[in-house]
Amino acid sequence: MNLLTIPLRNIRRRPLKTGLLLLVFSLGVMSIVTLSQVSRVVGHNLEQQLNSFGANIMVSPHREKLSVSYGGFHLGEMLLEPEYLQEAATKVAIESIGLRERISTVAPKLVTMVRLKEQAVALVGVRWDQELRLKSYWGTTSGRFPRERDELLVGARAATALGLSQGDRLAVLGRELVIGGILSETGSDDDSVLLMDLGLLQELMERPGAASFVEVAALCSGCPIEDIVAQLRESLPAAEVTALQQVVNQRMASVRFVQRLALSISVIILVTASAMIGLSMLSAVNERRCDIGILRSLGYARSRIFLIFCLEAALLGAMAGCGGYLTGLLAADRALGLLSLAEGLTPQFDPGQLVLSSLAFTAIAVIAALYPAWQGARIEPAAALTQF
Amino acid sequence: MLSAQNISKHYSCNGTRVSVLQQIDFRLAEGEFVAIIGRSGSGKTTLLNILSTLIRPDSGQIHYHDKELTSLAEKERNRLRKTDFAVIFQFHHLLPYLTVLENTLLPLMGGLSPISRAERERARQCLQRVGLTGLADRLPGRLSGGEQQRVAIARALVTDSRILFADEPTGSLDTATGSRIMALLAELHQEGLSIVMVTHEPAYAALAQRTVELEDGVRLN
Repeated sequence: MNLLTIPLRNIRRRPLKTGLLLLVFSLGVMSIVTLSQVSRVVGHNLEQQLNSFGANIMVSPHREKLSVSYGGFHLGEMLLEPEYLQEAATKVAIESIGLRERISTVAPKLVTMVRLKEQAVALVGVRWDQELRLKSYWGTTSGRFPRERDELLVGARAATALGLSQGDRLAVLGRELVIGGILSETGSDDDSVLLMDLGLLQELMERPGAASFVEVAALCSGCPIEDIVAQLRESLPAAEVTALQQVVNQRMASVRFVQRLALSISVIILVTASAMIGLSMLSAVNERRCDIGILRSLGYARSRIFLIFCLEAALLGAMAGCGGYLTGLLAADRALGLLSLAEGLTPQFDPGQLVLSSLAFTAIAVIAALYPAWQGARIEPAAALTQF
Repeated sequence: MLSAQNISKHYSCNGTRVSVLQQIDFRLAEGEFVAIIGRSGSGKTTLLNILSTLIRPDSGQIHYHDKELTSLAEKERNRLRKTDFAVIFQFHHLLPYLTVLENTLLPLMGGLSPISRAERERARQCLQRVGLTGLADRLPGRLSGGEQQRVAIARALVTDSRILFADEPTGSLDTATGSRIMALLAELHQEGLSIVMVTHEPAYAALAQRTVELEDGVRLN
């Protein structure tokens, strides 16, 4: 039994009123927690989905270039000697950086030019599992994605230009390969190339383990892409690492939009809930003028009256924070399930977040109650008691 | 023990200055029982509130032992009401959501440290003293008017107050209950408690050792 007994008993005194106030405040907290959880999970999911539309970091070998010009005739920049990355070493280096858990896909490629049916065409060696993960938007107009080592996937424009169709056999670099499928039009460079297994191409080119460049897809939520690029540069001093900023910025803008929208709505709910607590406490001060008068006549200092109202708000805030967090998690789980927003991803219960949420909403409730508590503390004892 | 000189108080009502008390002198000796009597609006309650430090007078001085109370800081006035002065009112004024025992302990509950076992025992003794044994866990709403007033008296006793200020303590009670409350106050006075009581009942005023009569804010005797 101490000063806390007074607000505790008062909360119990009117269960319906307290219950309704708690319900409203808890709903506010629940909405905020739900929005925050949904935006976090959806943001993460959205980012993963966006990342499936391609790489956002490019790792390539340093190139020695010569600008060739003679007698006013400019030939542009020419490669002195094509350089290659070592696929395995590059992959190990990429996967050893501090932010490695942010790397979702590493897709090495080897590019060479071949002549088919009197036309020059680019032949690209890929690791199918990584490539298909990186380009989940790919589809085929006929056939399927290659499963066998000697199967080719032909870009839509290349197929038209070379008159190729699924099941055709082609001699490529001295080896007969089968066209496993024709790629649907993508609007990218992939339309004009032939794609095949990287290991086989390395063999045919007699460049074991070589890669022309490596595409990397990184998850950027919560960390700037520059940090990942910096760590990759440190890990691969002999390579050129460049971030495809436009791609990254577009992805991050989408994620941030979702998060900002959730934050804006949360702020509105928070202000409304705080105003409700404040109004309720203000009305409690007016209702309990007599109680304040009694306490003041018993020698309670103004600071004690102030404390009583703040403690009452703190108790409400703590209960609403705790209840709202738990129901918010459940609501987020239901919302994600109902809206099919993030398959396989669920909001995680975190005791630390529960404590933080309770503390934060306790503080918010106390802040909302400061003015009413100050009003209560100003009441003169005699003025309060002589009303009756 | 307690003395007041030239106490004046006025209120403003619709821009008009209304004088409630004019140049009142008052004195209370240790262990004395003084009744303040007068008709409604004569300023009895205002005088009691001023003497018990609930309000400040516009002018005049009040001395309690060596202390001048009108110039005392609010912190000191609060402390005085907590330790030396106790006030009971016509309408009992208990907190309806606290039990009888908790209401009795209210003057000691102002801190965050819990009430001690000794304090709790002291409160039970005070309840026993006012004849409320067995009602400690009841809420005030389930008590009669007389019982509620007894709780208020027990609350006044729990801090060993030196002076009990009672504002019409029987005002809202029937005659029989009122008489029992007055008998209790008389007993407490016999045990050494100083009492200042406001009443308009001549029969109850007769229980006091001395009466101070007010009319229109002026002391008659």
